[in-house]
Amino acid sequence: MTGTRGHTLDIVAVTHRYGAVTAVADVSLAVRAGEIVALLGPSGCGKTTLLRVVAGFVRPQAGSVRIDGAAIDGLPANLRNVGIVFQNYALFPHMTVAQNVAYGLEARGRPRAEVRRTVETFLDVVRLGDFRDRLPRQLSGGQQQRVALARALAVEPTVLLLDEPFNALDKGLRLDMQIEIKRLQRQFGLTAILVTHDQDEAMSVADRIAVMNHGRVEQFDTPVNVYDRPATLFVSGFVGTTNLLRGRALEAKNGCAVVTLDAGARLTVRTERAFTAGVPVVLSARPEQLCLYTAPAPERWSVTRRLSVPLGPNTMHDLETRDGATLKLIEPRHAYGVDAKEEVWCGLRPEAEPGLFDASSI
Amino acid sequence: MRRRRASDWSYSIVLGMLAALGFTILVGPVVIVLLTSFTEGRSIKFPPSGLSLQWYRLLFDPVRSSQIHRAAMNSLEVALIAMASATVLATLAAVGLARRRGAWVRAVDTFFMSPMILPMLAFGLAALMYFTFMGFRPSLALIAVGHVVVISPLVLRTTAASLSQLDPALLESSASLGAGWLYTFRRVTLPVIAPGIAAGAFLAFVASLDNVPVSLFLAGPRSDMLPIRIGLRRADRDGAGADAGDGAGGRPHATLAWMTLMRQP
Repeated sequence: MTGTRGHTLDIVAVTHRYGAVTAVADVSLAVRAGEIVALLGPSGCGKTTLLRVVAGFVRPQAGSVRIDGAAIDGLPANLRNVGIVFQNYALFPHMTVAQNVAYGLEARGRPRAEVRRTVETFLDVVRLGDFRDRLPRQLSGGQQQRVALARALAVEPTVLLLDEPFNALDKGLRLDMQIEIKRLQRQFGLTAILVTHDQDEAMSVADRIAVMNHGRVEQFDTPVNVYDRPATLFVSGFVGTTNLLRGRALEAKNGCAVVTLDAGARLTVRTERAFTAGVPVVLSARPEQLCLYTAPAPERWSVTRRLSVPLGPNTMHDLETRDGATLKLIEPRHAYGVDAKEEVWCGLRPEAEPGLFDASSI
Repeated sequence: MRRRRASDWSYSIVLGMLAALGFTILVGPVVIVLLTSFTEGRSIKFPPSGLSLQWYRLLFDPVRSSQIHRAAMNSLEVALIAMASATVLATLAAVGLARRRGAWVRAVDTFFMSPMILPMLAFGLAALMYFTFMGFRPSLALIAVGHVVVISPLVLRTTAASLSQLDPALLESSASLGAGWLYTFRRVTLPVIAPGIAAGAFLAFVASLDNVPVSLFLAGPRSDMLPIRIGLRRADRDGAGADAGDGAGGRPHATLAWMTLMRQP
């Protein structure tokens, strides 16, 4: 199991088109050894194509894939030593669990005794030793996935690719499997790529997330940074829930921008970006970055409450601004006890750092 | 409530009658022939006049039924060879055509399937002329070749159907586990599509065994086939063919008459 430790994966300027459709447009990602990177994005964003490029099922029109710095573009899929776990697990239906796990080793012509030993090891790793003689159809979804994992890991791949592996599992099992995969990945120091459209999954499993849209990587960063400091308007909307407030930038200097919102407020927002005065902007604020007040102020805007629903320990308010935008606001349940008829104002929490984007990027 | 019960009742009646009708038409003739075969008399008559095994004794008599026996062995031999060849060829063709798109793929597929569309009688005649032109004499081997052409589409269809059910992720999994295409074919593709191939092979075997139109034209004087022999016996008795027992010359006439009678394609 020494062979699996520490391989870097570099995707360099990969472009792939299907006919007139560009599935992957000039994508570069550097994945560190022993890291899980999630490719997160809506369906059709090119994340699966990118995965298939790494696996060797798709030859990209341009760009290169490197493992430990060496290009593998010329190698067919069966010589790449890249493990893959598919959404539907793709277990060989006519083989038992043990035969499935042994398959890759036998294909490589390993000696019989070694095959048997390795199969035992990996069945124990995924805790399926008692199921070795079952057929895939006699297993539950979670067990099938563990077989698929054991099969992929048994050949000691340099990189493990996971193609929406939790999709077919029900919610309770999903978290267990996410923890399981994380555990195995840590145990073997595997470099892994997880393709998913589920942001929670990406946040909980990945060390870093590459958010993809229209074949491009919009942001490649840690889960916390992707959530707290989205690089683009798309990321702020796709990862987590956000409220968009339109307005104009008045001035921007010293890392701060003064903005007037169409909803009727004047705010100062911390931002790294530069805005010319008068340009239309969009403020992207998370529901938990907003706060309700009972008194007006220049940096607060008037809202009407349409609905308030309890959400576990929190209350979620559905609000409407004066210019017709709807907002979602989440706050601790006990914090707000005013009458529904009372007039309220919405503002940013003092510590909040909402995103500010050029409106033309919508 | 009462009305609904009445309609349920009539529904069952109609359904039962349709089922009975279907059963009578499909199974009836077989049952009648089977019962008639135990007759004591010399004519084919239903109900049989008395029971005996005399016709079976005659059928299994090595001397008196030698022609039937030889025809049966010929038919079995041809069917086995044609089935085996057709299965190998059609499986390879199906694998080659699977999951490919494009005009030439469709054209090739249609070409392979065309013997199913072409009247077999026309193919039989064409094959006879073609092989004669090439200098071959009618023989068992030629019959087998002719059968391969007309039964291959059966295997091609069933195999192509099971190939289209084959999850491409299985093949990709196999490749990512380090297997080359030949290893993948042997250990994944073939076992998964085996039921389709077996079904096609069985159909092909049966189709070859009772094929008349192709055998009819390609049979030489020494290559008597079972369905033709059975047909000839009947034609003989009806007086349609005088010298139908031997020689290729008189045979087609008698058998053509019989085939028209039986409405064979």
